Amino acid sequence: MTDLTFLALATVTVASSILALEARDLVYGAAALGISFLGIAGLFFLLDASYIGAFQIAVYIGAVVVLILFTVMLVGPQLGEPPLELKRLSLLIALLVSLLLGTAGSLTSAAAFPGPDNCGAGCDLTRLSSTLINQYGVPLEFLSLVLAAAVIGALTLAKADRKQ
Amino acid sequence: MSDPVSQILQLVTSTYFLEIVVFPGLISIAILGAFFTWFERKLTARVQLRIGPSYSSPVGGILQGFADIIKLLFKELIIPEGADRFFFIMSPVTALIIGAALLGLIPFAPGVQIANVEVGLPAFLAIVTLSPTIVLLAGWSANSKFPFIGGLRALFQQTAYEIPLWLSALGVVMITGTLNLTGIVQFQQNNGWLILPQALGALLFIVTSTAEMERLPFDLPEAESEIMMGWQAEYPGPLFMLVQGPAFIKLYAFAALFSTLYLGGYLGPAIIPPIVWFFLKTIVIIVAIMLFRSTFPRVRLDQLLRQGWTTLLTLSIVNIVIAYFIVVGVPAI
Amino acid sequence: MVSQGIPEETGYIIFLFVATLALVITLRLVISPRDPRPTPEKRAPFESGQIASGPGRTRFIIQYYPYILMFVVYDVIAMFLFAWALDLRSLGAAGTVPILTFMVVALVPLAYALHLAGQRENW
Repeated sequence: MTDLTFLALATVTVASSILALEARDLVYGAAALGISFLGIAGLFFLLDASYIGAFQIAVYIGAVVVLILFTVMLVGPQLGEPPLELKRLSLLIALLVSLLLGTAGSLTSAAAFPGPDNCGAGCDLTRLSSTLINQYGVPLEFLSLVLAAAVIGALTLAKADRKQ
Repeated sequence: MSDPVSQILQLVTSTYFLEIVVFPGLISIAILGAFFTWFERKLTARVQLRIGPSYSSPVGGILQGFADIIKLLFKELIIPEGADRFFFIMSPVTALIIGAALLGLIPFAPGVQIANVEVGLPAFLAIVTLSPTIVLLAGWSANSKFPFIGGLRALFQQTAYEIPLWLSALGVVMITGTLNLTGIVQFQQNNGWLILPQALGALLFIVTSTAEMERLPFDLPEAESEIMMGWQAEYPGPLFMLVQGPAFIKLYAFAALFSTLYLGGYLGPAIIPPIVWFFLKTIVIIVAIMLFRSTFPRVRLDQLLRQGWTTLLTLSIVNIVIAYFIVVGVPAI
Repeated sequence: MVSQGIPEETGYIIFLFVATLALVITLRLVISPRDPRPTPEKRAPFESGQIASGPGRTRFIIQYYPYILMFVVYDVIAMFLFAWALDLRSLGAAGTVPILTFMVVALVPLAYALHLAGQRENW
């Protein structure tokens, strides 16, 4: 059953991300992006990372896609760029790049990234919580600074736009 | 891995499939949606000293919802000029699927739950977070001024009240230590209903979920006297039914989540079966939310957004602090 | 559902899939755009009786744009808060200190945003 689900999710993700890039109407592109995020969330659930999957839906589709949609609607009904004539060349390049990435990925074994806490069957959500706070406390602080800077920067930009 | 076709066949003939389709699955969701249409109109009418729907059946017009569905199906389906057909039709369909998805997570009784997902609570709230996108697309797709303004208002309103909703549910997670909805109910079995330590959180939850559902007093996006049903204005007959349905299904889902988080879900003395307890509690909450409609005036948009981002956010942080002291204990600061 | 060897999450995905399928099939059978006598008046946008003029998607409410920006950031913050809340019993007071500084730092821009939103001439 897992194989069938994985195939379905992977197809949905790849197909909708291709659609997101190629759509002429940007609103369709943004909606297709949302669908591909949904596929990624499903893949997270398949990988037993349900926490990340749930928040992928909440943050990416719920917030980022909304922001993109709103901005796209704001910019106006312009068509995307007309399709390039170099369609075949770009397809070949895409194929080569994905082959390269796949080869590089398969060469990287699991031993290349030793996790500090390789829990086996004892992994559960409380483990996630305590690991996050205890081991990654300092990156958490830096993350809060980054988020705060993002909000302040966005607000300043939005404010400066209006004050003409 | 066995043959996918035989797996599908095995699934279709299993009891799980019966659970998905009939109860507590799709058919019961549809029937409940139609039922609550009648219920709200009857309740609102009685509060306003009217009789309400009474013609569709001898027993107080209880079939009104189904009569509405049949009527709406026969109407002409006119899509406005220049409207984006795909999103116009797909938005209410997606909203219905979201409503069904929400109900799939709730434990109705021990063992009666479509999917006891480990991260049930964040999954529920995450699916709720999808609805601003849908409403924005619905309002945009009609290519008409009223729906567009209504869709934008709905977007701002729902995103403003999303964060206090998350944070008020956070208090429950702090006290129970689990994200699983069945686990939260079982915690309340041992430790008492969570509405007592989390009274502030429960109040915040009801207020923010009423705002999420765009019900009065927060129904500015659908304001009938202002922008003519807002983002639902251009929706013709059958599609209008598809737009109204998710509103009631979301009401049921939020009330069910409230009773799961704060009122102990299906718990209760064994005289009555657990599922009846669950319905009783949920109906109480639904009646309360419906009574809001008859009681409070509509809130203006900028007041609404300001209150959401200041007062409600502050109160939900206060709720988190309260829950912190409940869990950790006052001396340990 | 676990008794049938299907993990809960997959069962949920199956439920959603069945729901989507049932809905789409029902719709296809029941609803199809049918308008036997289309007239220009029928298809015009509805504006309470007056004749619509101008494009349909014109009135933007831009002044509340910062609220959406803040929503993105605070959604992420909610994710970390949920992670902290899960293990509160064993983390205790010592484990709350990182989250406390996290929250304080993250709430400062909220104060700034509300200060900006209060100055109505900016929007």
